[in-house]
Amino acid sequence: MLVAVLATWQIATRLEHPDFILSPSEIALYFVEALRSGELLPHVGASLARSLPGFVVGSLIGVGLGLLAGVARSLDQLLSPVVFLTYPVPKIVFLPIVMLWVGIGDASKIAVIALACFYPCFINAYYGARGTSRIMVWSGLNMGARRAQIFRKVVLPGALPLVFAGLRVSLALSFILLFSTEMINARSGLGFLIRQAESSLRFDLMYVAIVAVAVLGYASDQLLLLVRGRALAWQDAASR
Amino acid sequence: MSARSADLGSALRRVALPVAGALAWEVAARSGLVSPLVVPSMTRIGHQLWLLASQPESLVDAWYSLARALGGFALAAVVGVILGVLMGRSTAVADALGPLFSGTYPIPKIALFPIFIYLFGIGSLSKVLLVFLECLYPIVITTQAGGRAVSRVLVWSAANMGASRARILRSVVVPAAAPYIFAGFRIALPIALIVVIITEMISSADGLGYLAMYALASFKTDRMLAIVVVIALIGVALDRLAVRLRDRLVFWERLDSYYAG
Repeated sequence: MLVAVLATWQIATRLEHPDFILSPSEIALYFVEALRSGELLPHVGASLARSLPGFVVGSLIGVGLGLLAGVARSLDQLLSPVVFLTYPVPKIVFLPIVMLWVGIGDASKIAVIALACFYPCFINAYYGARGTSRIMVWSGLNMGARRAQIFRKVVLPGALPLVFAGLRVSLALSFILLFSTEMINARSGLGFLIRQAESSLRFDLMYVAIVAVAVLGYASDQLLLLVRGRALAWQDAASR
Repeated sequence: MSARSADLGSALRRVALPVAGALAWEVAARSGLVSPLVVPSMTRIGHQLWLLASQPESLVDAWYSLARALGGFALAAVVGVILGVLMGRSTAVADALGPLFSGTYPIPKIALFPIFIYLFGIGSLSKVLLVFLECLYPIVITTQAGGRAVSRVLVWSAANMGASRARILRSVVVPAAAPYIFAGFRIALPIALIVVIITEMISSADGLGYLAMYALASFKTDRMLAIVVVIALIGVALDRLAVRLRDRLVFWERLDSYYAG
């Protein structure tokens, strides 16, 4: 199917068409060229330098607080109402506010990405921890495990599948927010490159940047799935 | 007595964070240490909210944003449910379309926005179509899972009683998959709003995203925050509406709501 779509696209570009549509083979050529000329890599670096810290900070805080709220009742009552009420609010609306507070640079983008990544991680970790089987906790206590031990050896592994589901959503969100914040205001990064190429009618560069975005999104998702496969090896074995 | 004081304690904890946040905000705003440009007081934000609500122009902008979000979402709901049901019930369709969806799923579609502007113009159409594209994925994926999970016995009984394939899809598979479909809708609805606001911030001359960026660029922080409040309220309202609708239509299954807390 993917092949069919690409082939139709390639053939369609032989017909009469506007300049802003390039054929897949042309895009591939420009992509290699841009890689070689070093036009692309600094922007990839700039984008990753924004999205990775945002993702790591947001999801670490989200997973940590989510797990704790899942096991500690007082923390649950303190955090959950606020988190669940503000969850459907589109986090991108905080970009202007954060820009105002910490400036227009990378910090504001990282903060917004972290904020957006926090929510899916918190919610999934919370439900993962709450879903811990009571019997396992009781058996642990019975065999003399301390609370910290139970948290590490029972709650954490039990919540891990949902934690990874949350991480995967957050990862996709971090890229969406990265490129939109870069398109709104930035002086580097792939989102900026797409907009700049578009407004200077360099369609080749625009497509190259879009392909780079796609590759980055796809590769990071595969990487996360790989880590997940490693970390949850026991789960696959159990379900087989 | 102790049960009541425990109730009081938990009620206090529930409101502690919002109240503390609001107090800290107001103290920062009124102390004079922070410029009102950075942290305007809540009365000023409230005043701007009142202005927004009483100006017909701003209501028109809110309507534009809402119409774009809901238009794209509705399109994605129709196409997504049809595709998802077909993919869930037919291995041929699933084999043909599955790799296309799972391969392009982690790619941020927002990167296509510039191309969409060239193809469909800078007005509403490019925004609605981008909303459609972003919303399509969660709906297709959850509907497909729902279509697969339909009990065999139900399908067999319907076939046995002489229902055609189309009839089975319509009267058995879609209702049985409804809980999954609504889960997909609930993921897609906030995405629709996010994409509309983003595209309006990037390039637009109307809509709430544009208004927020315009207010920021003209240093009217109180007005910008009022718009942010409006967007947030729309997001919460849409989500509640989806949950309400789901509880009506899928009355046989209780939702373990995110708000059950």
